Amino acid sequence: MPTPAISTTGLSKTYSTAFGKSPVHALRPLDLTVAEGEIFGLLGPNGAGKTTLVKLLLGIVHPTEGNADLFGTSIRKSEARASVGFLPENHRFPEFLTGRQTLDLYARMSGTTDKERAMRSDELLERVRLSGATDRRVKTYSKGMMQRLGIAQALMSNPRLVFLDEPTDGVDPVGRREIRDLLLELKGEGVTLFLNSHLLSEIERVCTRVAILKEGRMVREGTVEELTAEDRVWRLRCTAIPANTLTEHVFPIEGSQNGALADYRMLAVDRTALNASLDHLRSMGVEIEAVEPLRQSLEDLFIDVVGESEKEEVSDGKSN
Amino acid sequence: MTGLLLLTLRELRARKIILGLFGVATLVWIVLALALRLDVIEGSLAGARLFGEEMSGDSDLTDANGQPVLGNSLLETFVFGAEMFAAGAAYWVGILLALFATGGLISSMLESGQVDLLLAKPLSRAKILAGRLLGVAAVMLSLLTYLLGMVWLVMSVKTGVWNPQFLLAIGAVFAMFMVLYSLITLTSVLTGSTPLSLILTFGLLFATLILAIGPLREQITQPGRSIVVALYNVLPKFVDVGAYIVPQLVSGQAVAAWSPLVSSLAFGILAYSGSFWLFNRKDF
Repeated sequence: MPTPAISTTGLSKTYSTAFGKSPVHALRPLDLTVAEGEIFGLLGPNGAGKTTLVKLLLGIVHPTEGNADLFGTSIRKSEARASVGFLPENHRFPEFLTGRQTLDLYARMSGTTDKERAMRSDELLERVRLSGATDRRVKTYSKGMMQRLGIAQALMSNPRLVFLDEPTDGVDPVGRREIRDLLLELKGEGVTLFLNSHLLSEIERVCTRVAILKEGRMVREGTVEELTAEDRVWRLRCTAIPANTLTEHVFPIEGSQNGALADYRMLAVDRTALNASLDHLRSMGVEIEAVEPLRQSLEDLFIDVVGESEKEEVSDGKSN
Repeated sequence: MTGLLLLTLRELRARKIILGLFGVATLVWIVLALALRLDVIEGSLAGARLFGEEMSGDSDLTDANGQPVLGNSLLETFVFGAEMFAAGAAYWVGILLALFATGGLISSMLESGQVDLLLAKPLSRAKILAGRLLGVAAVMLSLLTYLLGMVWLVMSVKTGVWNPQFLLAIGAVFAMFMVLYSLITLTSVLTGSTPLSLILTFGLLFATLILAIGPLREQITQPGRSIVVALYNVLPKFVDVGAYIVPQLVSGQAVAAWSPLVSSLAFGILAYSGSFWLFNRKDF
């Protein structure tokens, strides 16, 4: 079995507080594996523990308990970050540096050679559309330019694993699309990406696997397909279903009548239940034109999951 | 670590104060070179003029202990005296200015958004902090070498009296700067606040000035006296090093007691050890 890019076992972080206040559990014990070459998206509301997880993996914050490895090397060793690139949220490059100097200095800290740096900086500045501003001081850059420079910086050492915390923050729609294309190119090159973003549509388009964190706990994890198809909702195109057959599991979609055919929404927990329902409809004389799984968007799922756990908390609170 | 060193050097260059200090150093030795007029006849000082004013020919220069400054001739006495003055100025004024100029470097490195970028690199935390300190030390040593080295060169060329002992002042001033910088480092790592680190360091300097007054220590009654004596022994001895060790070194005398410098260095080592330990454990 190949060594995963990221693996965590019971990784947790608790911040102790002063004056007898209860400690803050930023991340509850987490087991997570990200395979090499994956684009992994981390979702969660503010304060869910997303940035804490990234900081733990990069040695910026020390774990309270548990372990984590990057490519099989413990995060407690600095060598674990040898093949890692990182774009922090709200990063601040020294304002007195030019774009090119910034890339050169930070790549130097990653141990790249002079030749590699000279080659990569030109290539990456071109790739993030900053080749016209290479010798301008960073303090003259716009937010979007800073973000693109940050991405170039994260890629300078030719990393195998890249952590991007809100990579499209402050970037205009065109720039956002370019960043998305760049991420997909990186995926094609076999680079593992760990993405933290509030933009769910972006995660949905780019990521192969997603986890949702809430209050330091991982509440959902899987491929985008698995997660969005989880509620097993199907769109059924068929001849009119007799009114007495309509139940809360089969109901028409408003305004979908098209000649003799109409669209219905059908709920079925699994394939067996779906086929049983279809057999039942056929026995009622209904002719089926098409059946397709209906997927909710990642945003729908996110809101459902976050809302769900809030409801659970309320009921837990009541039962306690 | 080279990357960090370069980053620190660039940051110091970007802070115009350091350039200002190099400018002042340049001004000092140029003015000295232009203003100093000596009439040296067969290796002896026949007359000395500074800014055109005739200087006294009597050798009445003494060190901080009241001992006459060593010199085989009036010329040597004059040179030693002038060099002691230069070393003293670098010590008492230069260190304060340099602390002010470099005081924010540790805190700026620890600012959110900057420290994350550094800690995510495949470098140990010790190397990151050491790289920063090395940058500060390199600039400070360059500044001192430039200032005192040029003063020494001007004095030596103009008078023909080559006093290599004077160059030891570079080491002494540099050592005491680094001792005081250890407190800035410790406070910055602990709190991330530049103003606080400067206030504490200048407060410490003020405290050592008071503690260095021997009769004051004698007058205080117990248990206050024990506390004051303990503080005097533990804290860096900025006054003692500047008033006794530096002049003795510069004038070629045997240093009467190294203990003020040794105990100051011990304080520095302890504060740096604490800074590294804290930096290693801290969450950012």
